[in-house]
Amino acid sequence: MLAKQSWQINFHFSIAIFNQEIMCTGGSPSSNGSQAEESSENDNQQQQLATEQQPEQTQRTAIGSCTPEEVLADYGENIKLLTLNSQVAELLTIIRDKNTSRSDFKFYADRLIRLVIEESLNQLPYTDCDVETPTGAIYEGLKYRSGNCGVSIIRSGEAMEQGLRDCCRSIRIGKILVESDANTHEARVVYARFPDDIGSRQVLLMYPIMSTGNTVLKAVNVLREHGVPEKCIILSNLFCTPAAARTVVTAFPKMKILTSELHPVAPNHFGQKYFDNF
Amino acid sequence: MSVTQTKQIKFYSPASSASSDSITFLCSKSSSNNNDATAKAKSATPSVFPSAGLLTPTPTPIPTAATHHQQQQQQQHAQAQLHLQLLNPLKKVKAAVKSNGHSHIDDRPDATEPIAVDTSAMGSELNCCPASPTTVPAKSALESPMRRSGRRQRTTSIGNQTTTANPSEGIIRSNNRTIYTAGRPPWYNCAGQQVEPFVIGICGGSASGKTTVAEKIIESLDVPWVTLLSMDCFYKILNEKQHELALINEYNFDHPDAFDIDLLIDVLTKLKEGRKVEVPVYNFVTHGRESQTKTMYGANVIIFEGILTFHSSEVLKLLDMKIFVDTDPDIRLARRLKRDISQRGRDLKGVLKQYLNMVKPSYANYIAPTMAHADIIVPRGGENKVAIALIVQHVHTQLQLRGFKLRETLANSYKDQPMPESLHLLHPTPQIKGLHTFIRCKNTSRDEFIFYSKRLIRLVIEYALSLFPFKATCVETPQGVFYEGKRMESRKICGVSILRAGETMEQAVCDVCKDIRIGKILIQTNLKTGEPELYYLRLPKDIKDFKVILMDATVATGAAAMMAIRVLLDHDVPEQNIILASLLMAEIGVHSIAYAFPKVKIVTSALDPEINSKFYVIPGIGNFGDRYFGTEPSDEY
Repeated sequence: MLAKQSWQINFHFSIAIFNQEIMCTGGSPSSNGSQAEESSENDNQQQQLATEQQPEQTQRTAIGSCTPEEVLADYGENIKLLTLNSQVAELLTIIRDKNTSRSDFKFYADRLIRLVIEESLNQLPYTDCDVETPTGAIYEGLKYRSGNCGVSIIRSGEAMEQGLRDCCRSIRIGKILVESDANTHEARVVYARFPDDIGSRQVLLMYPIMSTGNTVLKAVNVLREHGVPEKCIILSNLFCTPAAARTVVTAFPKMKILTSELHPVAPNHFGQKYFDNF
Repeated sequence: MSVTQTKQIKFYSPASSASSDSITFLCSKSSSNNNDATAKAKSATPSVFPSAGLLTPTPTPIPTAATHHQQQQQQQHAQAQLHLQLLNPLKKVKAAVKSNGHSHIDDRPDATEPIAVDTSAMGSELNCCPASPTTVPAKSALESPMRRSGRRQRTTSIGNQTTTANPSEGIIRSNNRTIYTAGRPPWYNCAGQQVEPFVIGICGGSASGKTTVAEKIIESLDVPWVTLLSMDCFYKILNEKQHELALINEYNFDHPDAFDIDLLIDVLTKLKEGRKVEVPVYNFVTHGRESQTKTMYGANVIIFEGILTFHSSEVLKLLDMKIFVDTDPDIRLARRLKRDISQRGRDLKGVLKQYLNMVKPSYANYIAPTMAHADIIVPRGGENKVAIALIVQHVHTQLQLRGFKLRETLANSYKDQPMPESLHLLHPTPQIKGLHTFIRCKNTSRDEFIFYSKRLIRLVIEYALSLFPFKATCVETPQGVFYEGKRMESRKICGVSILRAGETMEQAVCDVCKDIRIGKILIQTNLKTGEPELYYLRLPKDIKDFKVILMDATVATGAAAMMAIRVLLDHDVPEQNIILASLLMAEIGVHSIAYAFPKVKIVTSALDPEINSKFYVIPGIGNFGDRYFGTEPSDEY
């Protein structure tokens, strides 16, 4: 209910700047989207992008006929939301608040990441396993299969690596660097390094903010080129726009997405604030 | 005279907030020997410290045991002249200890002396003030004792010399200190409700032997937790004129108006409700109250003694049993003369003047008539063994009717009932089950055990936080739009861990709440009775304003958790502000806690159906603390 209200406020707001946006960029929305997502990667473009990100984002909301509720109704099987209890709501609020200090931001972002990672791990396959407890009784537990690995999308995805490490001490972590071309605004993969046997592993793909989903599309494509089946990829995400969710799920229907919030406005300052490049 | 009689009484000063030497006694039937006496004499000194518990701070200047022993023997011989001199070193030590850090003048020799003589081993100044305080010439205040900046020493290791003398005594002795390990047993019934303590009022004229009777009762009762409250703590603060009168023996300390009856009623009522109270400490030099107070807790039995105990009708209502100690006036005068002249260095004339002008008329006017209220009149005071035996028998019967057996009752109730609403079980995801598999398996190495239990604890704490009240809020985002979210209503949260296993959860609380305050409660199970006992308590000062996350790794019968909740309630924390967070609980424990404290929220990651005869959860984790800290008994591995 709350989410819907705020989206409506946002909706009116976006119309107001929509026209300006068209005039000032004139680029295709999709290419702009990738650029916006990667803005934090390109320090020299930041000034320019800072003005563009926000309008572009809201424009997308205005055009896209999808609300968080619709997206969930359509793709509920693929998209799992972190249980939104009050505590999680507070974390989201603090992260989105522009008056949050950087140290607070990192502290609460790390907490949210930990929760998302813990929840992502729930998607991994397991087998039943009975153990004997010190009292001599049998506990019917379960055991996770080994052979998982994490892949983070540079740069903001790396913020989630520590959270994963805190849960799985010795997990292998691969990396992908996706950059948008300065001229064409095309997102392209410039660097990728994975464990050799990644094709036989479950992959936890980490990327905190999805506003268009283009970066993730590229990253998943790279993973598939390395022989990772689509159904073995779990995307860990913090903030996702309904549009991005729709884009990604349409492209990869077998992939699971885990996020904490579907909201038309993505907090694009995440990477910058987390790594302190203000 | 009462030195040998009181040998069997031991101290135990439960630590709590900053000023916490309460005058609560632990009674033990163990036969007295010289060792006991020295041990007591030693602990008399550290008990002045505003901190205690297991690690009783040992002040540097401790008189040797030999000196004390000598002193005690000397006292027995009632060599009055020798007393004064021999006691001087002890008194100075006490003064030095008290003035450690802040210097206040309460080193009036006369005021402190009776502690060592009248009530010998009781040590705590509070209950040992003379019944009718005598004032002293101002010069004795000038006689400032040697003040040393004795540094506090905390000794943590018990060392090789330590011997646990007798498990039932619960005393650990080392070369230079004594640790009392007996804790406070439950003071509430299995519904978590405060069992009203039995309050005994002892009244009688000055020097009639009230304290001796009280000690005899404590000694014979053999109830683990007895609080002794003296009416002398409630003397009014004197103004300058009254102070001058007091100096020339013309202020009437035996008149009812000399006491602050309202404060007395307040304190006694709270004690009877089992709440924590701050008892004022009266300074007979300044005739004012010390800035520091004594912290006292309710107990199974409270003994309240004083010359005008039965004077106020409201106080009378609070007393369950009223004892009047009736001693012959001649004997009382003789005792008073002896005490005041030989031990307080006063002259015959002054003592007689005070006695004839004030003490005697007051006795006739205010004390003797109250004898009518008494249930029992004890002639001859402490020597009257038959009377004391009768009193003790009656108290025992009364206590049995109230019932303090806890754990066994808890273990056998609430079978096959639906789980209470206050239980919040973490959503049983595969991860949580997987983590449980790791930490429950008996072959898990400690490294893995710690790692996986920490992960699980983190999830429990995160979940627990979500149960606090939140309010909707709207924030501005860097994207220029407003975001409607939630914030916690109050950031005043504190964690309280139940030692030792609960301590493992502290780190997780600190990881999710910045700058959180942590309190600690040590509760251990008495191996003989199977009952939980409270040993140590340290809580943030204004804990009543905080929301509290109470942490214990496992909850079986819930007895320890109930005791901890009870402690929090006694510190005025509202029940609904408490969340009990735990990794694993037995269904019985949940039922017991929920029944006793329906507003306390219970958070756990798993619920096990049974507990075994040793009160371990089945299938359970085993002893969580032992596995986490690596202190398993060797036969297990």
